Parts: sequence; C-alpha cells; structure tokens
Amino acid sequence: MSAMRVDTKVVMLGKESVGKTSLVERYVHHRFLVGPYQNTIGAAFVAKAIQVEDKVITLGIWDTAGSERYEAMSRIYYRGARAAIVCYDLTDSSSFQRARFWVKELQKCEEQCKIYLCGTKSDLIEGDRSLRQIDYHDAQDFAEGNCSLSKMYHLDLIPELLNTRFPTYTKMPSSVPAEETGVNLGQKKDPYFYSCCHNN
Amino acid sequence: MSQRTERRGIHVDQSDLLCKKGCGYYGNAAWQGLCSKCWREEYQRVRQKQIQDDWALAEKLQREEEAAYASSHGVQTQSHSQSTAPHPGHASLGPFSKFEEKKTNEKTRKVTTVKKFFSPSSRTATKKETQEGKTPSPSISRRASFDTDQVSRDFLDFLKNLQKPGREIHKQCRVFIVNMLSKKDLGADELSECVQDFYQNMADRLMSHFKGSSDSVEQVMDQVEKYIMTRLYKSVFCPETTDDEKKDLATQNRIRALHWVTIQMLCVSVDEEIPEVSENVDKAITDIIEMDSKRVPRDKLVCITRCSKHIFSAIRITKNEPASADDFLPALIYIVLKANPPRLQSNIQYITRFCNPSRLMTGEDGYYFTNLCCAVAFIEKLDAQSLNLSPEEFERYMSGQASPRFNGSEGDWPHTGSALGITATNPVLAQVNHNLELLSGLSGRQERLMEAAQSLQADLLSWSDSVQREVHDIREKYPLEILSCTVPAIDANNIDNDNLPSPLTPQVFSG
Repeated sequence: MSAMRVDTKVVMLGKESVGKTSLVERYVHHRFLVGPYQNTIGAAFVAKAIQVEDKVITLGIWDTAGSERYEAMSRIYYRGARAAIVCYDLTDSSSFQRARFWVKELQKCEEQCKIYLCGTKSDLIEGDRSLRQIDYHDAQDFAEGNCSLSKMYHLDLIPELLNTRFPTYTKMPSSVPAEETGVNLGQKKDPYFYSCCHNN
Repeated sequence: MSQRTERRGIHVDQSDLLCKKGCGYYGNAAWQGLCSKCWREEYQRVRQKQIQDDWALAEKLQREEEAAYASSHGVQTQSHSQSTAPHPGHASLGPFSKFEEKKTNEKTRKVTTVKKFFSPSSRTATKKETQEGKTPSPSISRRASFDTDQVSRDFLDFLKNLQKPGREIHKQCRVFIVNMLSKKDLGADELSECVQDFYQNMADRLMSHFKGSSDSVEQVMDQVEKYIMTRLYKSVFCPETTDDEKKDLATQNRIRALHWVTIQMLCVSVDEEIPEVSENVDKAITDIIEMDSKRVPRDKLVCITRCSKHIFSAIRITKNEPASADDFLPALIYIVLKANPPRLQSNIQYITRFCNPSRLMTGEDGYYFTNLCCAVAFIEKLDAQSLNLSPEEFERYMSGQASPRFNGSEGDWPHTGSALGITATNPVLAQVNHNLELLSGLSGRQERLMEAAQSLQADLLSWSDSVQREVHDIREKYPLEILSCTVPAIDANNIDNDNLPSPLTPQVFSG
C-alpha cells in the first residue's frame, strides 16, 4: 500500500500582501520572491507531496485573495480544507484583525480544519522594533484561546536572506494532515499547534 | 440448413435422433439432442432467465441507489447490501460475478455447439457483448451521435486492455446508464447523488481490484466518467426540473449590465497595452467560452484550468513576477465579465453535480474551479462598495447615464468622477471617441467654411456696389465734356502739303 495517496487541502488566509504567496513559495521551492521568477507561472496553487511514515500525502496549497471585497466568498475557498494557515503582518494591526475574523469563521464553518496562526515580516521588526504593531502577547493570548498555540517557531533563517523583506517563518506544518490520515504526523507530545515567525 | 442436418442424422443412429424431450420429433446434436421446437423453447427459457436477471440486477442497483439516497449514509448502506450478495467471496464484485458466471456458461455451451456461429475468440465475444449491450436500450443508441459512438469505442478499446474486469466495468456502466435514463423525472440533486454513488462504488471496487494503486484507479475512473457523462449529458445538463436556465439568463444579463466595469475598478494587474498580455487575455476568454462545448465534466475543468493558466501568464508578463491569488481572482472576474461565457451557471452546476468529487475538492483543477465559482458569486453580489465607487456613481453607470470610460479619455465630461483616474481601456471605444472628435472637428471646419463663403458672397456684392459707386463718383467728378467744334474736311487743313515734293510722275521707258 505504499502507493496510497492522500490529497489534503490547505488554505492560506490573510490580508492582501501579508506574504501568503511568499510563504508558499518558500515552503515549496525553498526560496524567496526577491526578483522575478520566470519558471513559475503562478503561486496560487501548488501541490507538494510529503512522505509521512508509509503514506505519501499530497498537500494542495490554496492561496486565496485576501482583499476585503472578496470576504463574502472566502467560505467557498476553505470548504473541505484540512488545514488553514492564517497569516497576519506583524507591522500591520489591521491584518491581525482580519486574521481574527478568519479564525472565527473557520471555527464556525469548518470544524475539521486545523488552524495555524502565522505572523509574517518579522525581519522588518528585527531591523526596527518600533514598526511592530502586534504585540507578542496579544497574538499568543489570542492563539491560545483559539488555536491552542503555545509554541512560537522561528524558521531556519538563511543568512543571505536576512536583508530581504521576507526572511522568517514557520517550518510549515508537517503536521497538517494528521486528522485525515489518522496518523499523528507531528509526533508531538503536546497537542498544540505551531505558530511561527518570531522567536523573542 | 437445419433441415439438411436433420436428414443427414437419420442415417447415423436412429435411437439417438429423436428429441430428448420425447416429443416425437427428431433431435439434433447441435441443439443438444433436442428438436428445433424444443430447443427454441429451451433456449428462450434460458435467454428469458438471463434477461430477467439483467432486470433484476438493474432493479437491485436502483434499489440500492434509492436506499443510499434515503439514508444519509449512502455509502454504508451500499456496502451493506453488497455484503449480502450471494457470492461473499467476491464481495467487491458481487453482482457481477454471478452475472458473469451465467454468461460464461451460456457462452461455452454456444461455442461448443454452434461453432459455426460463434467463434470462441475473446475478441468476437467482446464485440458480441457490445451488440447485446445495446439491444435493451435502443433509445440510447439511436440518440447517440457520432461523438458518443466515438467515446463508446474509445471506452471499449480502453477496457479491452483490462480484460475480464474491463467487461464487468462496461456491463455496470451500461446498466447504470439505462437506469439513469429511466429516471429522468428525478430532481437534479437525486441524479447527482446517483452518479456520485456510482463513482464511489466503482472507485471502491477498482481500488480492491488494483490493490490500492490510485493511479490505475484514477485512470479507469476518468474513462468511466467520460463514457457515462457523454451518454447522459443531454438528459442531465441543465435539466428542466431545475431553474438553471433561469439563472443562466440572469447571470448573462447581469454581466451585460456590468459592461462598464473597468480593469482599474477591479484592481486587475493586467496591462492590455502589451501585445503579449492582450493575446493571453484573448486566449483566456476563448477557453472559458469553449467550456460550454465540452460534455465531460473533466473536459470542462480542463478548459477552466487552461483559461486560468493564460490569466497567470498575462499577470506575470505585466507584473514581471508570479501571480498570487490576490492578483488572480480579480483578473478572473474581469475575464468572466469580458467573455460572458454561455450557460455559465448550468455549466458550474453540471460540474458540481457530476464531476468526480475527488477532483473538485483537491488538485489544481478544483482550485481553479473554486475560483470560478467565487468570481461568479462576486459578480452576482457586486455593488458600489466592491468597486470602490460611491452608490450614486454605481447607479449612474448601471442605468447607462454615464460611462466611466469617457472620463479618462476626454476631459470635457466634468460631471463624472474624474478623480478615479479612469482611462479608456477598450481600444474600440477609444477608436470611437477618436472618430467622434474628428467628426466634431470636421463640422466646426465646415461651419467656418460656410461662414467664409457667406462673407465672400457679401464681399462680392459690396464690391460690385463699391465699384459702381466709385465709377459713379468719378463720373460725377469728371463729367464727360463734349467740345462742340466743327470738323474740317480732310483736305481743308492740308497746309503742309506745300512742302512736300511733287508726286512722282510715271515715266515711260521704251524698249
């Protein structure tokens, strides 16, 4: 049964230009959008196969339009999703409000869906702490109440990327499809989910 | 021919020649020792039984489907009724194996007895089966166009490679189609449920047959979907029991009413000035329109995916970086508005109802299809706010009192919000505007010409007057005085003639 394939839907939610696409690019292709890429036609949908124990799980990662004008439609997107990465920009408090909105929506409509909260652009606040608008503890409190977040993850920083706008974020959830396959992929002792980005 | 065989038999062995049923007539080896009449009866009985079994199977499937529909846990019910099938050993292929068994029995009998008629080769057997397969449903074969015939042939060719299970698959598909066609009066949702159950069942069976190789299952399922949906298309696409058609018209009218929406209002990062981009936009529009011409849900999905790929190319060329969903969705909305694809709602409903669900929920095709659904939902709900317009402006545009396209290209439309910085995007409209400008310029020039002509006329009139006046004045000033003097005779004052030499007198020379 090694050829057993499981398709899992993962949606990316977050306000416009918080960096959903870059996050996906980074996860799938291990690179940042620092310049024009000619070899990718678009990053809105990517599939990535991961091997978990004896199963090959295909993560279908769905990027979504974050603009408020499409808010009414977002339900169509996350229908049937197994995991949702809700992104917010650490330097933009409105993006955090939107993130809260999505988390509530997901809890209401998709009980099966695991929610991951992800703060982005931590490189910007590393350079200038005054840019930070979302307090670490606010995010953690919210996440603990809603996403059971307890750990903050700091992504493997690649030195040459520190100067770009997008350097940090999570080891994207290797634990995503746990529920679907019935295998605890993360092999974690605690049932908590990860969040990402800042390590302070 | 049978007559001759009978006669020849007389000479062989009298006792064996009589019909085994003891009816007194002669029997024949080819008819298993029966006479022609008894053989026909016997054969009919077997055949009848087979036909009845066929129907029983069809009815059983139907009952199963109905039971599955009745209970909310459709799949479970189905597997229940399967486990009670008479051959628990072949649980996965239960109803088939029974069927297949009978079939083989009969075939071997035929093959051994009537060799001349039925060749034992498997190829002819398959062919025969298809012919038989079509007989109970003449309505299907009659309706089948060239397309469906082609699809059926392809399907059979494909199944031949699978040998025995292939025949089973074909049989089940055929029974299913007959079943579906007899249930036309069901609502669209029920039909959808039937098809989805069938997919699920088939996939489960295939899964156990191929020992869990998803690729092979997928391959077969694609073919099954293609075959079934091509045949059912006419009866289940936009069925009369739904209001799909009404929705189609509503959407079409809605899109027409929104013809004024510009690329800028939707914040689409596509620059149609670049030839390569506009080429991609045109291709995307063609693809989305082409979707309506396909019959198989999967082919329709392929059209949507192709359209999306072109949109991505357009965005990438414009922005010089790969597009994200933030760019893609608005662009797709724009393409849908521009293309106004025929029967959009029907197509979406059809795909949702009859596509293999695993394809819709995951995978790239599913992603683009979801985006299309979003785009349509957005267009339906679209209001002033979603275009960053004031409600008044929106109303004016919707009622056709104003068009945002004129604002940017012509400065002399001050009443519409030029603050939006809208420029004419449609090249045709730009051309029309340009022509209008030219025309108004021409009429201005013509007016000036007329004015000049009139003034010229006036000038001419006044000139002749002035000339006359001048002449008159001059004549007044210098009146013509005729001096009265006596005119002398020409000779009278010929005074100077005296000084002239005397005229020459002609001299006469003699000789």
